[in-house]
Amino acid sequence: MFRHLSLIFRNSLRNRRRSLLTIVSIAVSLCLLGLLVAIYRAFFFAEATPDQALRLVTRHRVSLANPLPASYMQQIKQVPGVKEAMIFQWFGGTYKDNRDPANMFARFGVEAEKFGIVNPEYKLSDSEREAFIKEPTACIVGRKTAARHNMKLGDRITIIGDIYPVTLEFVLRGIYSGPADNESLIFHYKYLNESLTGEMRDTIGTFFIRMERTDDANTISKTIDDMFRNSPAQTKTETEQAFGLSFLSFLGDVKLILLTICAAVTFTILLVSGNTMAMSVRERVREVGVLKTLGFTNGAVLWLLVGEAIIIALIGGALGVLLASGLCAWMRSLPSMFADLSQLRVTAPVAAICLLVAAMIGLVSSFIPAWGASRRPIIDALKYSD
Amino acid sequence: MSNVVIQANNLTKEYVRAEFRVTALDDANLEVHQGEFIALMGPSGSGKSTLLHLMAAMDRPSSGNISVFGQNLQALSDAEIARWRNTHIGFVFQSFNLIPVLTAMENVELPLKLTKLNKTQRREQAKRALELVGLGDRLGHTPRQLSGGQEQRVAIARAIVTDPDVILADEPTGNLDAASARDVLTLLGRLNKEFNKTLIMVTHDPGAAKTASKIRYLEKGKLLPEGQKPAEY
Ligand SMILES: Nc1ncnc2c1ncn2[C@@H]1O[C@H](COP(=O)(O)OP(=O)(O)O)[C@@H](O)[C@H]1O
Ligand SMILES: [Mg+2]
Repeated sequence: MFRHLSLIFRNSLRNRRRSLLTIVSIAVSLCLLGLLVAIYRAFFFAEATPDQALRLVTRHRVSLANPLPASYMQQIKQVPGVKEAMIFQWFGGTYKDNRDPANMFARFGVEAEKFGIVNPEYKLSDSEREAFIKEPTACIVGRKTAARHNMKLGDRITIIGDIYPVTLEFVLRGIYSGPADNESLIFHYKYLNESLTGEMRDTIGTFFIRMERTDDANTISKTIDDMFRNSPAQTKTETEQAFGLSFLSFLGDVKLILLTICAAVTFTILLVSGNTMAMSVRERVREVGVLKTLGFTNGAVLWLLVGEAIIIALIGGALGVLLASGLCAWMRSLPSMFADLSQLRVTAPVAAICLLVAAMIGLVSSFIPAWGASRRPIIDALKYSD
Repeated sequence: MSNVVIQANNLTKEYVRAEFRVTALDDANLEVHQGEFIALMGPSGSGKSTLLHLMAAMDRPSSGNISVFGQNLQALSDAEIARWRNTHIGFVFQSFNLIPVLTAMENVELPLKLTKLNKTQRREQAKRALELVGLGDRLGHTPRQLSGGQEQRVAIARAIVTDPDVILADEPTGNLDAASARDVLTLLGRLNKEFNKTLIMVTHDPGAAKTASKIRYLEKGKLLPEGQKPAEY
């Protein structure tokens, strides 16, 4: 079989302009496909980090937009297996202006003294952590955001609230670095709460819980949610990873959307390459007659023609995968807006899926014309002119 | 009496097109002996190529029987015929039909890729065939870099590289200038005399036909009896 590879390879470069166009169009579509599959993987298959696995998130059963009483904290802390529980409050607001996406880093209110226990992956020097805890209006930011805005310790940072009708003035006391998030601004929830009046006061969006052991995740979640079953505000407790996904589903059925686009991309490229592959098979019909005269069987000829299409598609696919992994690297460096893109990369399985799809595109798009050509009687094939 | 290589009995080929049928070959009987060099002549459309194709098992007869080396060709499946053709038949076309993306060497090596030979043996054998046709110094040339006469000699090398028993040539000099045609005919003559190959060649050129040991004529699908020719010849 592989004895014919050199002929297959030579043939695939025969009509250079057309091969190049086919390769480019397959590369572009597979780049898009690779990106989508990488996103899908980052969202739904990325393994939880050890810290994520040890964290639970409690929110309102109905949705994130419904607040919970901050007082739930006392009961949550009592649940066996809970090492620490902390208010984790998302604060929208505006930094400078919203036209520059670089200004749209996330802001969270936490309980500063618990932050190192619940979120130990945010690395901070001891002195910075101490300064952060001590000062009610202190904040810390991720190193990326600090670098982007040239922020230095001691700087004043003003965030104007939108949902919350308050303006918060912070002093930068620390710059953290983490394995994933290096962008958020973290401040004292207490400072926010004390600025609030009326309904908004003492209500929060989420509790972050640090467990003693990952094995307790299900029991703890159930205990907490059962505890508030008869309260006006029921809760939903899940692992941080599951929470990330339900936050994403806020934006719609992400899974379905991703899969639909993937299918559409694959189908389109199949139509495009089906056309060019049929063209290149037509050019080979006479040669099919010659090869068969030399003793090539129908099967060998079929393999030659299909192999040529697969090679072209694989070259395009490999280029597409390279492009996609470049694109992922670029997207990882962007400020993250709705979703955590730090896990976005073309891993070996993602690349393998793309190359498999590429090979399938080559196979499927050429099979029918190649089958027809390989079955053509020798005499007919030799007389064929295109 | 020498060995019979090809035995055709009542060989008939009809082509059926939408509303009419053409009898391309009509009840041909032919016996070809080992080492013979037969020229097939006749007007255009008289069935010469059809007969040649049937002998190469490139096509199947509508009726009648053909056996080559005692092998009844009708009894073989398509895949068996392909293999059989690879080992027993060398075919030379009027229009050379080399694979344009392959070098002379690779073109000649092509039929050997269907055999059990390894790469070194294939190269070795392909090189020998090309040296035999006088192109030992053109191994790396692609068809486009060769003259018509050289291309046809590469095609002949490709036809003989598997050391087949029978060489069939359909107007092998039809596309060549006089000098190249002479070279090709000399070469075919040598294959017949020095290597004892059985050769059947279709030609329009009476001069070319003279290199053969015997001339047979066709007219309107009929293979004329030995010694008989159509009126215009
Ligand atoms: N594939 C085919 N379909 C229909 N008719 C054909 C086909 N091949 C040959 N013929 C007809 O059969 C006859 C003999 O053709 P051929 O053997 O090619 O003649 P020659 O080689 O002597 O010129 C011609 O009338 C030709 O038109
Ligand atoms: Mg003819």
